[in-house]
Amino acid sequence: MLLSPGERMRRRLAELAGRGVLFGITSVAALAVLAIIFFIARDALPFFTQVGAREFFLSTEWYPAHQPPRFGAAAIFAGSLLVTATAVLLAVPLGLFAALCMSDVLPFGVRQVLKPVIEMLAAIPSVVYGFFALTVVAPLMQNGGSWLPGQFEIASGVNALTASLILGVMALPTIVSVSEDALQAAGRELREGSYALGATRAETLFKVVIPASVSGLFSAVLLGVMRAMGETMVVWMASGNAAQIPRPWYNLLQPVRTLTATIAGDMGEADQMTGSAHYHVLFAMGLCLLLVSFACNLAGEWIVARQRKRLRGG
Amino acid sequence: MRLKLRKLLDRALTTCGYLAIGGMALFLLWVLVPVFTKGFGAYVFRGTVEHRRMMVGEFGRGDLDRLRAELAEVLRVRETVYQAVAAFERELDAMPAARRKALKPAFREVREGVSVLLGPEPGAPMPALTRRLYGQTRWEKAREKADDILFEETWVYSDAGSRRVLVPRAPQFEGTALAPVFTSLERDLAAMLRPRITVYPRFLTDRSIDAHFFGGIGPEVLGTLYLSLGALLVAVPLGIVAAVYFQEYAKEGPRVAFLRSCVNTLAGVPSVVFGLFGLAFFINTLHVSPGKSVLAGALTLALLVLPTVIRASEEAIAAVPRAYKEGAMALGAGRFRTVATVILPAALPGILTGIVISMGRAAGETAPIIFTAAVSVGQMVKPSEVLSQPTPALSWNLYNLCTEHEAVDELRHVQFGMAATLVLIVLALNLAAILLRARIARRLKG
Repeated sequence: MLLSPGERMRRRLAELAGRGVLFGITSVAALAVLAIIFFIARDALPFFTQVGAREFFLSTEWYPAHQPPRFGAAAIFAGSLLVTATAVLLAVPLGLFAALCMSDVLPFGVRQVLKPVIEMLAAIPSVVYGFFALTVVAPLMQNGGSWLPGQFEIASGVNALTASLILGVMALPTIVSVSEDALQAAGRELREGSYALGATRAETLFKVVIPASVSGLFSAVLLGVMRAMGETMVVWMASGNAAQIPRPWYNLLQPVRTLTATIAGDMGEADQMTGSAHYHVLFAMGLCLLLVSFACNLAGEWIVARQRKRLRGG
Repeated sequence: MRLKLRKLLDRALTTCGYLAIGGMALFLLWVLVPVFTKGFGAYVFRGTVEHRRMMVGEFGRGDLDRLRAELAEVLRVRETVYQAVAAFERELDAMPAARRKALKPAFREVREGVSVLLGPEPGAPMPALTRRLYGQTRWEKAREKADDILFEETWVYSDAGSRRVLVPRAPQFEGTALAPVFTSLERDLAAMLRPRITVYPRFLTDRSIDAHFFGGIGPEVLGTLYLSLGALLVAVPLGIVAAVYFQEYAKEGPRVAFLRSCVNTLAGVPSVVFGLFGLAFFINTLHVSPGKSVLAGALTLALLVLPTVIRASEEAIAAVPRAYKEGAMALGAGRFRTVATVILPAALPGILTGIVISMGRAAGETAPIIFTAAVSVGQMVKPSEVLSQPTPALSWNLYNLCTEHEAVDELRHVQFGMAATLVLIVLALNLAAILLRARIARRLKG
């Protein structure tokens, strides 16, 4: 088809304009994350200039409503860390075994049935998990002295352990599906080579498949950490919300308070609070969460990129 | 020997895998079974005559003549209780001071309990709160309340912990005019309240009365619909355009790599931070509304689901066979026309899957709407008010009802009803996505 020069020019311009518009819209979507950083940081900075980072990170005195207010968030950071770490410790072994089983043990048909189960586990809203924790798990925990081995003093059914348990379950689907993908990506040849050498399935998995897919497994764990750390409703409802470091620090049966729960709980009067130090400290916490999640993300991307380079090189 | 050990280890691995998977499936059941069985109780339950009275009084529903007849019969049975209470009040005045002092607090509790159980006495002044206008509308609650009258709850403390003990009240009032209350409550409770299996499907759409003491969860369901549909309205066009750009237009390079990595990062932002951002940007900076509003909440949720929409659409577009595209190009269609008339229609089911899953996600999220859209108490928001008014939503109100509400234990059935409804909405959307995906897989195969 022959086009006149004018027509060709017109089409070319239209194509360019279309591309420009698409690029513009895509940029808006993608750059939203920069806007998020900017606006969270903008509202967090006044806190650091007014009160300072020293008290925020090092002090455990969290009395935002007192006169003068105290904004020591160390206990809250510790609470977030404790709950996230416990949840991940629970979820990672379970999730890895489930992923191993799904990718290498179960027949194809069973796997097709299990995938929706895992998707359902991921789809249940977090507030429903929180409600479940509050109405089903917490009462069990409350009467826990009788069924747990040893003598425990359980002051309340809502404590770090309840929150971690549920958080662990919520992180499971992410860990399972990402690590299953990673295990699948290791490929048939590796497995068959290993079987041909006489290795059992367990040996193949642990000595060949897992080393080959370790970067994918690591990013699965990172995603699980992010999921557990950023979760709000469950920890708000089930962790007890006491801004204290448990004594001893590993005592999971005491209530703790996390960053996300503090933000959600304290921002309730946001309308009247705008501009106060209490308002800004919550943004400072949001900024910390944001930075940690960025770090996890970058680490994940870096590991995947490195692995890709190694595969290409080798 | 060594071979045996290796085989044993292999077995152990398999067992661990099965246990992990079985544990996950069991946990899912452990969550879903109580939520659904108890949530079902919000829709189907044994409703008392008070429920029917409330339905007529508040919603104008039901057979008025039949209710009148029923109420007349019920009142005849209740008369024993009311007369005994009135007689005992007179008797109390005539008692010696010491005995009066001993019995008065218990009598107050009994009289209060009767009015909670059966509603205000006929002829008594109308209570100000709607929740006091009617007695117990649900039979299982009525039995609990009757037990509160019949027994006094005390706690026994010992080294082994505290234990609840129920002490009958009747012996305390033996021989007084109040005694018939206890016997008749024990014998005639069913005749006083006439429980009957009640199906209440309009729990889903009815407005709530007096902070969920009666009525349904209509405002919450409506709010959840507004928020999730609003989020999709923004996120879907943006997401599809971005996916088309990434798949069909972008040339791989640092600029596109940066945009991609931005989208990935957006997916990892904690949900509560989205809420903070919505408050700081949409409400405090752009002033899209004077305070919290459906609009601000929907915009915030749109950002939250955007990465999901982009990824699903990208996958769907990438799955369109190359031959389609080449065929269109060979016929002389430009790139834009190829995308609009060939690629997008072919990718549509896959894109829809992503949209449906995103809708479920938006419907279930709580943290992003706390500061941007949600209110604890509210009526249905009209479509004309979505730009300026905050709304109740299933997720937020479930939180609110089971933690901050003044009568958390009284309203368990509403909480479970809300949880079951929310889970049902989300799971139905996910099921739709699974079915869609199965259809695509079948079509690609055949």
